[in-house]
Amino acid sequence: MGHARIVFDRWSDRYSDCIAGVRSSAVRDLFAAASRPDMISLSGGMPAVDLVPAEAVASAAREAVIHEGAAALQYGGSDGRLKTRELVADLMAEIGVRLKPSDLLITAGAQQGLDLLAKTFVNPGDVIITEGPTYVGALQAFSAYQPEIRCVLMDDEGMRMDLLEAELQRVGVRGAKFIYTIPNFQNPGGVTMSPERRRRLLELAREYDIPVVEDDPYGRLRFDGGHMKPLRSLDDEVIYLGTFSKIFAPGLRLGWMAAPKPILAKVLLVKQAADLCGSNFAQVTAERYFQGTRWRRTLAELTRTYAMRRDAMLAALDEHFPPEARWSKPDGGFFVWVELPPYVDCSTMLAEAVERGVTYAPGDGFFPDGRGKNCMRLAFCYASPEAIAEGVRRLSEVVEDRLELYRAFIAAGALPDRKEGAA
Amino acid sequence: MSEKIAVLMGGRSLEREVSLASGRRVCDALTSAGYYVLPLDVTSDLVATLRSERPDAAYIALHGKYGEDGTIQELLEFLGIPYTGPGVVSCTLSWDKSVTKHLLAEKNIPTPAWVTLTADAFKEMGAATALDLVGDAVGGYPVAVKPGRQGSALGLTRVDSADDLADALLAALSFDSSALIEKWVEGVELAVSVLGEGPDALVLPAVEIVPPTSGLYDFSARTTPGDADFFAPARITAQIAEEVARVAREVHAVLGCRDVSRVDLVLDEAGHPYVLECNTSPGMTETSLLPMAAEAADMTFQDVVSRLIEAALSRR
Repeated sequence: MGHARIVFDRWSDRYSDCIAGVRSSAVRDLFAAASRPDMISLSGGMPAVDLVPAEAVASAAREAVIHEGAAALQYGGSDGRLKTRELVADLMAEIGVRLKPSDLLITAGAQQGLDLLAKTFVNPGDVIITEGPTYVGALQAFSAYQPEIRCVLMDDEGMRMDLLEAELQRVGVRGAKFIYTIPNFQNPGGVTMSPERRRRLLELAREYDIPVVEDDPYGRLRFDGGHMKPLRSLDDEVIYLGTFSKIFAPGLRLGWMAAPKPILAKVLLVKQAADLCGSNFAQVTAERYFQGTRWRRTLAELTRTYAMRRDAMLAALDEHFPPEARWSKPDGGFFVWVELPPYVDCSTMLAEAVERGVTYAPGDGFFPDGRGKNCMRLAFCYASPEAIAEGVRRLSEVVEDRLELYRAFIAAGALPDRKEGAA
Repeated sequence: MSEKIAVLMGGRSLEREVSLASGRRVCDALTSAGYYVLPLDVTSDLVATLRSERPDAAYIALHGKYGEDGTIQELLEFLGIPYTGPGVVSCTLSWDKSVTKHLLAEKNIPTPAWVTLTADAFKEMGAATALDLVGDAVGGYPVAVKPGRQGSALGLTRVDSADDLADALLAALSFDSSALIEKWVEGVELAVSVLGEGPDALVLPAVEIVPPTSGLYDFSARTTPGDADFFAPARITAQIAEEVARVAREVHAVLGCRDVSRVDLVLDEAGHPYVLECNTSPGMTETSLLPMAAEAADMTFQDVVSRLIEAALSRR
């Protein structure tokens, strides 16, 4: 009898170096288990699209097809439709950024913008500076181009400028390809960069001659406090990424990029190679949807809803979470960042949470270097206030149970003392 | 032949997705074999559905908690529905790795030295003050740390020195209220599937698992095609294969298994087998070990499924 080797993927030795290393993670697998109907998900950042009036979208799409006809169904320019870029310029003017349509490029969500920027700028080993923690999708998009990602911790006012300056001193003038920031209601940190920090960031970027990439998906979802000027409104060298995903719907896959002309021209070439052009169908639909004022009422309704859910989450955290835990108090957006004592590992704790019927996103996924283990991101955007309250209550039981176990180990001197945590 | 078979899958276990994949394949095989198939995700409606549908038998394609720990078996006994796989007692004994190992050790079936510690022993009795004794108790590092009751190697860590033991225990204790610390046996990993029961039990060829270069045949390696390498039959001598089969048959018998089990072993460098655990609801997905073993024995997937359901139906 021969000894047959069993081969499931006969191409496994053929994949590129940057993809071959990507493996299914234990965390991903736990989320697979979390597809159960009784599970409360505090992990995913899904917008509440059920509040977007379906018939308004249907009539926008219908009008688009009837009135735009062939254009909706045909290829278009790589930079996107002029009318869509005019719409985006109007939206940007409302938040204090004056742009011409020619300053803009329509992308497949801001996510494509991240990929295009990394592809345009990054050679293997190049330095990118981000906040720590930062958007996991940005880490994924950047990582494909094999950069060295350095992250700068945050506090309640956003990215810490003393730490950024120290990092810039290490890398030197033009020593990083760009500085990536989510200044408003940061994902996952939930914090907003203060006006002073915004000005300081731009000064440092000028001093070290490094472009700033401003990712602003949540800026218009503000619950409290006044509007803060986008970085792009203070400095037209800033590369700005925007999206329709949070003010309309992520299913359209529509976002935009504003960048200095030479950069935009390069990115346009990269985009042509990536997809020829974005979806005209989605663009004409968005153009129609944003005619009139109904979208403003929907956006106000979305914002009110997210605010109530944020309130429910903060109240539940106050009521149930142990005194050892600290968390951010976002003025907008989707997320609260919770920090537990430094010895807690939130990745392994997820199994127990799933067992109790609640999920969250473990913090180390939001760092490029394994930090953030003692943290977790809780999303308040998707679940109802009642489900959020119950989810936080379940999670607090898990946390209490884990803390009791950790205390037993610490009392016995069995756990090495860990001081490092994350903002 | 058009008996109605309820295929139980999914459920609340951490292995839900694996179970759904097993269940879909089992449904297809039973349908091809001419049965009337009722696929059921295990939810709080299960009992009401079983009572109204009155299946002739249940195929248990559940993995992990509630599917392999005796819970579903006990329930089906109560409802009077015959089911595939080992009975309540065998499932309960096999699900708890520590209990299994105690039973094997009593019968002089080799299993790596181990220590079991529960969360309560840490919280209530200061067990963490004795972690310095672990190395000597199991014969030195490296050790495997795993949850006492969990499937698909979830929560498994290899620990090379005492410094990393506490973290591994805390990880394992997130998956279950007890954790096993087991001497790491370096060697060839084998999975041996057994069909039937008693002296007539059929032992399928051993499947050899070559873990990915990243190290462990863990949950990811088990569910990612192409991550680990497999050889069926295993690249072992006829003499060792015979010894391994004898041990697997004995484990199956000691735990009182019927219909099917999969015994996981490791062969040390001298070729001596050590039993790690026994699974009473082995995976039935495209990348699972039992279907590989069946194929190496010239049995189709459908042969295995038919055999299991016929055994259940014969208990009506």
